[in-house]
Amino acid sequence: MFKSLIDDNEKRNQLSIMAQYLNTSFMISTIENEYLVNIEKGVVKNVEEGPFVMPSYVFKLTAPKNEWIKFLQHIPEPGSHDIIAMLRRKVLKFEGDLYPLMSHLLYFKLLLASLRPAESKNEN
Amino acid sequence: MKIEKEPISGQYGKFKINGIDYRIYWEEAGQGIPLVCLHTAGSDGRQYRALLNDKKILEKFRVIVFDMPWHGKSSPPENAKVGNYKLSTDFYISQIMSFINGLELVKPVVMGCSIGGRIILHLAINFPDKFRALIGLQSAGHLDPYYDISWLHRQDVHGGEVCGGIAYGLMAPTSPESDKFETMWHYMQGGPGIFKGDLFFYKFDGNIGNEIKKIDNSKCPIYLLTGEYDYSATPEETKSLADTIGIEMIKMKNVGHFPMSENPKEFLKYLHPVLNKIS
Repeated sequence: MFKSLIDDNEKRNQLSIMAQYLNTSFMISTIENEYLVNIEKGVVKNVEEGPFVMPSYVFKLTAPKNEWIKFLQHIPEPGSHDIIAMLRRKVLKFEGDLYPLMSHLLYFKLLLASLRPAESKNEN
Repeated sequence: MKIEKEPISGQYGKFKINGIDYRIYWEEAGQGIPLVCLHTAGSDGRQYRALLNDKKILEKFRVIVFDMPWHGKSSPPENAKVGNYKLSTDFYISQIMSFINGLELVKPVVMGCSIGGRIILHLAINFPDKFRALIGLQSAGHLDPYYDISWLHRQDVHGGEVCGGIAYGLMAPTSPESDKFETMWHYMQGGPGIFKGDLFFYKFDGNIGNEIKKIDNSKCPIYLLTGEYDYSATPEETKSLADTIGIEMIKMKNVGHFPMSENPKEFLKYLHPVLNKIS
């Protein structure tokens, strides 16, 4: 589900500029699966899919798979369009050291939203 | 070279608020019924530029938008210190009334968004006879904290970046990207701790419980409009508020927490009929 974060780094050049001093690892959990994402200088360098034995990461975002599916729609429904909206509905949990996330909040929102299908893709 | 001039003019004035002098900046356009617009927490009056340029509204209304103290081009008071700004209900009401009295506005319409949508409820409770009508955008009676607002003012986090990031998510994915960017940009330009200081009113001091029942719509008509993508003041919360007051609410499709600036075209479709009723 989040494996494709490794793709399209070139398309995300502008986004990387917003996080040019950011080096971190974070976990995305869908409950069923886990994805360990490594970022260097704002660029996604690696995405590993679980299960993991001893994963090491700084913070973790956990939501049920069906909630992530709603988030990843081309035009998400109200309440599923933003990670803070999901936090407000208590379907998403932020855990760990949130400093990298909160100091680069817009970057992470746009990074995750970059996985939404483009309109043209949707129409095909 | 010919430029396209806008009908907006700006001015500064000194207003006494709770005995202290404040240098306030405001913009206005149009003539007729005074329509005072209140911006959201951590932003400024630029949010209402579309209204200040809307020919249809300007024919009947004198649209006036002021920057709250510490916001936009309005100054902090003398001896201000970074980190000690906290918006209380009393100070918010006082600045609105000082502004209205200072400009000698008689029975204006007041329209506020978010914290502005909350304060109009306090105005309805305390001064119903002072206003021709009150319009609440994204109004809710109370809001419990759902994220840790201390992130909005930390010396190790860029305030503009984090406040912009918070504001961005409150907008609809369907709103035009350029309008969303500008709305976010206003947040990125706020002073340190100002957004957080405003949220003290929004999430704590300004919460209204049973007092909502004191609002008498027959003394002063109230209109409530809320964007469907707002998760801060949700349409469901506005509906519950409207039910208590005994009025209908208007749910606006394809907009979020900042209808007037994130998607003015869509917003004006909903606002025009309301203003027609008021005029």
